[in-house]
Amino acid sequence: MSKPEPEFPRGTLDLLVLKCLDTMGPLHGYAIARRIEQVAGESMQLSQGSIYPALVRLEQEGWIAAEWGMSETNRKVKFYSLTKSGRKQLRVEVAKWEKATAFVARFLEASR
Amino acid sequence: MSARRTLRRVLSLFRRRRAEAELSEEIRSHLACAEEDALRRGLSREEARREARRLFGGIEPIKEAQRDSRGIPWLEAFLRDLRHGIAGLRRTPGFAATILAILSLGIGGTVAMFSLADAVLLRPLPFPDPDRIAGIWEAPRPGVNNATSVPEFLAWKQLGTRFEAMSAEQPVLAALNASDGPIRLPGKLVTSEYFKVFGTNTALGRTFAAEEDQPGAAPVVVLSHSAWETYFGGDRNILQHPILLDGLKYQVIGVLEPGAFDRDEVKFWRPLVFTREDRSSAIHRLTVYGRVRAGSNIAQARAQMKSIHAALLSNSLIDEDRAGTIEVKQLALMLTGDGLRRSIEIAFGAVLLVLLITCANVANLLFARGAARRPELAVRTALGAGRKRLVGQLVTESFALCAAGGAGGIAVAYALLRLAAPYLADALPFTAEVQINLHALIFAAAAVLAVTLLAGTLPALEALRGNLADALKQTSRLSSAVHIRLRRGIVIAEVALSLVLVAGALLLARSLRKLEQVDTRMRIENVTTASVHLPEQAYPSAEKAAVFYDALEEQLRATPGLKQFGLTNYLPLQWISNGEGIFVPGIEKPLFVRCKRADAGYFRTLEIPVLAGRGIGERDGQRAPRVVVINQALAARLADVAHMKDVVGKTVKLTSSDYSGAQAVFTDVQIVGIIRNERTTAPGLAEPPVVYVPLAQSPVRYFRLLVRSSAETGTVVSALRHALRAVDPNLPLADVATLEQIRRETLSGVSRPAWLIGVFALVAIVLSAVGLYGVMAYAVTQRRVEFAIRMALGAHSGDVLGHVLKSALAMVAMGLGAGMIGVFAMTRLLKSLLFEISPLDPFALGAACALTVAIGLMAGLIPARRAARIDPAVDLRNGG
Repeated sequence: MSKPEPEFPRGTLDLLVLKCLDTMGPLHGYAIARRIEQVAGESMQLSQGSIYPALVRLEQEGWIAAEWGMSETNRKVKFYSLTKSGRKQLRVEVAKWEKATAFVARFLEASR
Repeated sequence: MSARRTLRRVLSLFRRRRAEAELSEEIRSHLACAEEDALRRGLSREEARREARRLFGGIEPIKEAQRDSRGIPWLEAFLRDLRHGIAGLRRTPGFAATILAILSLGIGGTVAMFSLADAVLLRPLPFPDPDRIAGIWEAPRPGVNNATSVPEFLAWKQLGTRFEAMSAEQPVLAALNASDGPIRLPGKLVTSEYFKVFGTNTALGRTFAAEEDQPGAAPVVVLSHSAWETYFGGDRNILQHPILLDGLKYQVIGVLEPGAFDRDEVKFWRPLVFTREDRSSAIHRLTVYGRVRAGSNIAQARAQMKSIHAALLSNSLIDEDRAGTIEVKQLALMLTGDGLRRSIEIAFGAVLLVLLITCANVANLLFARGAARRPELAVRTALGAGRKRLVGQLVTESFALCAAGGAGGIAVAYALLRLAAPYLADALPFTAEVQINLHALIFAAAAVLAVTLLAGTLPALEALRGNLADALKQTSRLSSAVHIRLRRGIVIAEVALSLVLVAGALLLARSLRKLEQVDTRMRIENVTTASVHLPEQAYPSAEKAAVFYDALEEQLRATPGLKQFGLTNYLPLQWISNGEGIFVPGIEKPLFVRCKRADAGYFRTLEIPVLAGRGIGERDGQRAPRVVVINQALAARLADVAHMKDVVGKTVKLTSSDYSGAQAVFTDVQIVGIIRNERTTAPGLAEPPVVYVPLAQSPVRYFRLLVRSSAETGTVVSALRHALRAVDPNLPLADVATLEQIRRETLSGVSRPAWLIGVFALVAIVLSAVGLYGVMAYAVTQRRVEFAIRMALGAHSGDVLGHVLKSALAMVAMGLGAGMIGVFAMTRLLKSLLFEISPLDPFALGAACALTVAIGLMAGLIPARRAARIDPAVDLRNGG
């Protein structure tokens, strides 16, 4: 039972999903995957399916809530939305991420 | 992982199917959306479907990853293995049933024994703060416990400030008039703080108030919960009206809450009131308990009591008293004496031994199964199963077995305890409530885990050891030498252990036989016994009691079929209290003797012959000169110590208790005869010197009736009851038993361990036979080809049979050797349990060895015959 290699650094996908739901409001899985692809452009290859384990994780943490609904094309889909604690978590994650990237950037700069 | 997520993961275990379905649906709609997008971009339907799949990535790995992050992977894997394991076991029901039976027996025995040890030794007493309850008594000489006198108790109670409550008690009997005639209830007279000491509350009413044990207080009684239910039908209005005990009115002031006292034989408590005479009496008759104040401990209380006792003793006039000391001991330690503790520990040890054999056997059977499954495991490895996963799976399978065995074991334990309950009630203190409780269940779970680890892991590792691929090529048949050696070792250990147990059981059985053959030196056939107690109110004086005896004897003589009867205060074969002495001329110190009351009919009924002089006769009545009859043992002792050759006719001085229970001295008592020793105590003990005092000259309240009659016991008892009612309708007849029953009871202290170890031995020998059979059957399967070749080369089937049997016997022989070492090691332990039998009794040891060899042969014979029936043509063709 080998797990598929994550395509992003661990936790990044969670952050992207949270941010995505924060800016776009409730979305279904395919729309989230599309949105991430659009923003990422060519810079990153995402298997759309890999967002589903992340969605389960986030839902279990209580950061997002899921609800079955109808898509714009009249399909039964699961809509995900950010919860209150999810919004708080997003702020924490963003701050963490900015701190980390700032540090790494500074480090790379200094070691150049 | 956050706690919330852990919780959801656990919860998701129960909703797995729904979550899977939801995920599948989500993926389906995701793919549909992607397909629609692709169609909109102008792809063909076929291209769009492919594009959607490509973008999504692998569906199965996603599902797997999702499953992993949703649930608890190892737990799910465990549950999956468990299902597999159970399915596998159901394919081999014989194997599974054998292991289950073995495990149920092994675990059941251990759990039952644990419950016992838990009830008696581990659990705190069923009273609040039981550590603070202590018994207090005088120890005039080391190892001798003396009862307490009233002045002593009052002084202790007043001065013992380390105690918040202290109570004295003494036993009492009372007749209660039930609907079907009078019945006798055992009770206690207690001082007012008694229930404060034990911290017991009431279900109805209250317990005693401080003034209720003072002279002149109204007569009141407290009932135990079980007595209230049994004798008063749980009447909730019982506090409103008085009850009659010994014909006197007592107000019920309280009914205890249900609990420990319901297992005690005491049914009621009345205040113990000290009269003016009691307060200066030197009679030691009280039992004292105290509750140590919170903040003090028993050691401090003991130190205080010692100084109080020393101060009190310095005033004593009797030298001997001054030498004594006082003991304060925790109630828990008093209730579980050293003997009880030790026998529980021994029994627990024996049970653990059986559990160990169980483990060995289960391991053995699992080894055989693991070996048989090597080809299957090899295939699964070839298909990509990891070694770790396979070990996990095999161990899980063993766990499934052991858990089922544990469940069976709890059922077995329950049945065992139910069976043993009547014996246990006699053997254990009333505070011990034996039940299969949470402790026992936890212990059972621990036993299951231990057995799984001990018996499951090694075989699993062994099954996967070495190059599994060889198993497929079938060339590995002779390769598991280590494995065979291990299994042989287990069988040898089993044989050794069962030899120890069988030898122990046979020794105890032989010792029991000897005890049963011990001559009681009297005729006990067809003798029925019963007891009568004369209450103080109706029979205040010795004269009244003597009149009653005469009337009862008269009545019995007039009853047809009850010609032979006798009265005494101690039944034979049981026990006679000590502490009495006779003074003979020429010797200063008294000779310690046992003193027994008997009437003229006693010796006649039991056919105890008079050796010299005469026995007790009808003429030795109240007003006749005081006489005694002595037994052979006392005659021998007098000859030895006082050089008195001709004791008949000599006059002695005798100390004994009088009708009120006080110590009294009788002077000018003439020895009129010597009777042959009867068995006054349990067989196996030396016969003590006994003085027989005519009952009429020294009446007692509590006495026994012995009647010899060829009629049925029931008929005899109703005739006795009828006769008693004719003399006094308020007196109950109690303690009905035949003398034969009494004899068996006195032997039960010996027969019970023999019986118990016998059962263990039986289980052990069956287990070792199964183990031996397993090893031999496996070896024969492994060596089929070898035997076929041998037979093809000219060996007879008899040779093969002999060969297999020989290797089985070799194992048995080694087991016997090891077992004999164990038997020698047990010699000291067994010695104290055996009567006139050496722990190395050649007959018992020989029989144990022979039995073990015979069973070993039987276990070896089945596989040996199978080996002998090998047809070389068939086996070599199929073999390889």
